[in-house]
Amino acid sequence: MYVSKTGLAVIAAAYIAVPLVLGSNNYVMSLIVASMIIGGIALAWALLGNLGGMVSFGHSAFFGVGAYVSALLTMKTGMPVFAAMLLGGVGAVVASLVMLPVLRLKGPYFALAILAYAHIFKIIATEWSSVTGGSAGLASVPRFPELMGFDLSGKIGSYLIILTVLLAFVAAYRAIRASHYGIALRAMHDSEDATRVVGVNSTLLKALMLFVSAFMTGVVGAFNVHYINFLEPDYAFSGLWVTLPIVAAIFGGYRTILGPLVGAVTVYLVDQLIFKSLIPSGHQLVLGALLVAMIIFSPGGLMPLLRKDSRRKHAAA
Amino acid sequence: MSELILQALYSGVLQGGSYALIALGLALVFGTMKVINLAHGELVLLAAYMAYMVESKLGLSPLFAIPLALVLVCTCAVLVYFLVSLIRKDRELNSLILTYGIGIILTNAVLLIWSADVRSTSSAWFQDAVVVGPFYSMRSELLFFVVASVLMAGLWWWLSRSWYGRAVRAVSSNRDAAKLMGINPRTTEIVSFVVAGILASFAGVAIFSYGVIQPAFGHALTVKAFIITVLAGIGSIPGVMVGGLLLGIAEALTVTLASSALQELVGMALFLLVLFLMPNGLFGAKARRG
Repeated sequence: MYVSKTGLAVIAAAYIAVPLVLGSNNYVMSLIVASMIIGGIALAWALLGNLGGMVSFGHSAFFGVGAYVSALLTMKTGMPVFAAMLLGGVGAVVASLVMLPVLRLKGPYFALAILAYAHIFKIIATEWSSVTGGSAGLASVPRFPELMGFDLSGKIGSYLIILTVLLAFVAAYRAIRASHYGIALRAMHDSEDATRVVGVNSTLLKALMLFVSAFMTGVVGAFNVHYINFLEPDYAFSGLWVTLPIVAAIFGGYRTILGPLVGAVTVYLVDQLIFKSLIPSGHQLVLGALLVAMIIFSPGGLMPLLRKDSRRKHAAA
Repeated sequence: MSELILQALYSGVLQGGSYALIALGLALVFGTMKVINLAHGELVLLAAYMAYMVESKLGLSPLFAIPLALVLVCTCAVLVYFLVSLIRKDRELNSLILTYGIGIILTNAVLLIWSADVRSTSSAWFQDAVVVGPFYSMRSELLFFVVASVLMAGLWWWLSRSWYGRAVRAVSSNRDAAKLMGINPRTTEIVSFVVAGILASFAGVAIFSYGVIQPAFGHALTVKAFIITVLAGIGSIPGVMVGGLLLGIAEALTVTLASSALQELVGMALFLLVLFLMPNGLFGAKARRG
């Protein structure tokens, strides 16, 4: 896969320079990790929106299911954390299976039906207390292990894990977009009917995109639960896991791959460092205003504005 | 047991009146503009907080908040209209995200001004029990059910008899044909937003006068209103009225027979069931005919 020199430099800087320079500052590192968690969901959300053409208000469903599956597997069966994280993603895919009937629905129906699922999952997690611990939640979820004497459960270790996860997501996203599925999906974006006529099973393709998006979100949810070691239904299925990624993806540009990630880091850090100190409660007001402004003035997001030639470059890749 | 069920039916119908008012606003706007206003529940919430403010700051009955709520909510509704009309392309999906953003703004504005505390009315007159035959309710519940019924009858008259009401229906069923008949679709869209705002104002004051409100409540109301329009089948105004009552009854029965924790679940379950089994809604076919 083609990776530009700048890309390699950024990756190297992310792996080496960030831990070296900021690693000693726990507060900043925790903000960065949190922003990358949002970035992971934003990327998955944007993949569904860009390739699948669907807006979702229910990604907290996948995030929560991934978190619960991974936490319960490690706690009840003693499964290693990283294996459980992958299965958390698989769990989110299984959860998305029940959403398949919704794929026939368009626009607002899909967006809100998936929100209904998120609510239902939250209620299940609350009420099925024999397994999930109910609203009291799960405490002391296993942390990340040590690897060759290096403790991955610290801030730097967690940062390196989520960074690797995000890079894997980006690679997968690029691979899908470059494959013939990607071409069919782009054609579907222009006219779903015309694409069906030439023999593309558009519902199947949309279902695949839903699975990929659910898997990614589930893995991020699983990462988060082992990172913070605690889980309860209101947190796992919180609307924050929907709002912040949407703002991030729209801000960065949901039709680009890097846009949602850049958007997440920018929006989250600015929100936490500036607006949260200015307006302690209700600082999300700014995020809502940002969302409104972006849709009206630049629905394509900031990335295409900043790099006008990005489309050509991506097309070449 | 059967008395309990009958009582739940009665409470559900009373609650359903406000639900229907909220859902009608959503359905009217969707009809003319093909936009789901995800900030609609937040508009209702604004009206509810106006009622709270009038009661707690001025010491008046929440009923006096209605004119204030009408002005504020209708202004906000028209603002939502202007923002949505600024969207240049891909309006179906972008309007969802836009109104979602407006919802976030309004929720957090409410949070900033009135804090996250749960509020309810302190008026004893509202909370007094009223007995109708074998059934009990709060006075405010019955009062606002009557108000909702009158409003719905008024809406019915307006849609079927008045020029603008018929214009709203014309634009909903066929925008181009309506244009050819000399109807300005933009004016009609604004009118539908204003009417939605009027209905939302009354519903908001109603919800404060018999229930509890908190900032996150607006989002839940939007979801409920959307569930009702799906139950009804998009485009069916009488269907929305029945759908509101159905949701109210379903919720009340769940609370009586199962637990209040499952109250939200029943709406969602109904919603998905209807989406899968009859995507046109319970009354959708009727709407297509006319």
